[in-house]
Amino acid sequence: MNVQPILRPACRPRDAAGARAAAWVLSTLLCTAGPAYAEWFYDAHAGGLYDDNLTRAQQAADVRGDGAATLAASGGWFYAPSGTDGTTLSLEANSEAYARFHGLNLISIGGSAGYRHKFGLGRDVPWASIIFSAAHDDFRGDIRDGDRIEARLEVGKRLSDNFDASVGIATDRRFASNDQPVVPGISGKPFDIRGHSVFARAAYDVTERLQVGARVSARRGDVVSTTRQNLDIFLASDAIAADPTFGSDFYAYRLRGTTTAADATLSWALSDRSSLNLSYGVARTAAYDDLNYLSRLGTIVLAFRY
Amino acid sequence: MRTLLALALCALTGHAALAQHEIVAAVVDDKGKPVADAVVVAVPADGGLRLPTRRDAVIDQVDKEFTPKVNAILVGTPVIFPNHDNVRHHVYSFSPAKRFELPLYAGVPAQPVVFDTAGVVVLGCNIHDWMVGYIYVSESPYFAKTRADGKAVIADLPPRNYVVRVWHPQLEGSEAATKRNVDVTGKRRVDVEWTLKLKSELRVRRSPVGEHNGHY
Repeated sequence: MNVQPILRPACRPRDAAGARAAAWVLSTLLCTAGPAYAEWFYDAHAGGLYDDNLTRAQQAADVRGDGAATLAASGGWFYAPSGTDGTTLSLEANSEAYARFHGLNLISIGGSAGYRHKFGLGRDVPWASIIFSAAHDDFRGDIRDGDRIEARLEVGKRLSDNFDASVGIATDRRFASNDQPVVPGISGKPFDIRGHSVFARAAYDVTERLQVGARVSARRGDVVSTTRQNLDIFLASDAIAADPTFGSDFYAYRLRGTTTAADATLSWALSDRSSLNLSYGVARTAAYDDLNYLSRLGTIVLAFRY
Repeated sequence: MRTLLALALCALTGHAALAQHEIVAAVVDDKGKPVADAVVVAVPADGGLRLPTRRDAVIDQVDKEFTPKVNAILVGTPVIFPNHDNVRHHVYSFSPAKRFELPLYAGVPAQPVVFDTAGVVVLGCNIHDWMVGYIYVSESPYFAKTRADGKAVIADLPPRNYVVRVWHPQLEGSEAATKRNVDVTGKRRVDVEWTLKLKSELRVRRSPVGEHNGHY
């Protein structure tokens, strides 16, 4: 890569110990039988997605879109220690297989722990929840491998028989496993990222079976844009690595940015235990003055719960 | 001869007094489809009610649903709420006809809940928001619930005039608007039909929603 070495501040210290500890705690708890009267659940999601800008690139020449088959499964237990409190612990596995860019093929194993409190009795009382999740992502392309953790706090209320809404904040952290620097003095872990988000979501039951959902969010933090050599992006980035998933001349740059996203979901209940879901989302990222990119994601998911 | 005639008259009179009548109700929706779980209530037009001995009723919880979903009981009936799930439920109602709460429990609660006011009681579970059940507390002992074919039989009716009405959880409009005057003094069986306009059932959804989180 023919770029000028530039002296930069040292990379932020990053440590995967927290993610590993969280994963260990989750898996240990899940391996227990769970408290008496715990309610076991098993979920499976199968479907597909199409993302029209997987590279998160601005220039049309760098934009790459692809579709993937997705399969996810999770299992865990829910336990209500009181009539207004609920705790959930689950283990999750997720996989994605892309049609063209096989370096994005993913197997992810993780877990989550959540607590939910209802402020009173009834379906329409306000509630608050907090969820911690941790996972290890193993991509075919090693540069994206890593552990991630997320904490999410959400408050919500059912506003009518068929309308539910909530708002929340979240913080996410991803610890890249592999350091593959291409520029001396610059981190080679572009996928080592962190960010904070605010979000709001709502669900409206149009009929007994059809639910329309919407979600908007704004996230401030690290984003990764993969492009061919680009001096402006290079100057704004604080971690760079070759990203051969999209070609031998592509590089992943870590930048600070703000992503605003909106998506809508149509969910058709096939039964009390299954549904067919279609979603479409748009995310716009402003990384700095000159870098703005847009990505669109469409998904179809068949969801089962037992 | 006079004795024989007197005995025959007595037998006939006695038979007439014991003869019981029935109302056969048929309930359909505005598309002509049979409506199950509609409660049909017959109240003597003269208001005279003799309430029979009350028996306990049972509303079960199986697979995180109230079973049966719609129940009709006589006012004053004690109801037991056994929980046959292997998880706990927290049953409540805010309905004016009966406000009560059975805090988080498993198995069979020690005490039944007595429904001493006529009206509709909507049941919920504070753990599983999708669970909903209905108890129709009738002031009259003459009631029945429609089966899957939309039919219900109110049997053993003394021969009188009745005001008969229908209620359903999704009934659009008032129950009072369904009232009919039915005379069962003449015929042993009287057929009555109702066409109800029903609302959509919008309860909290139980089925999962599939989501996919995008990448940054």
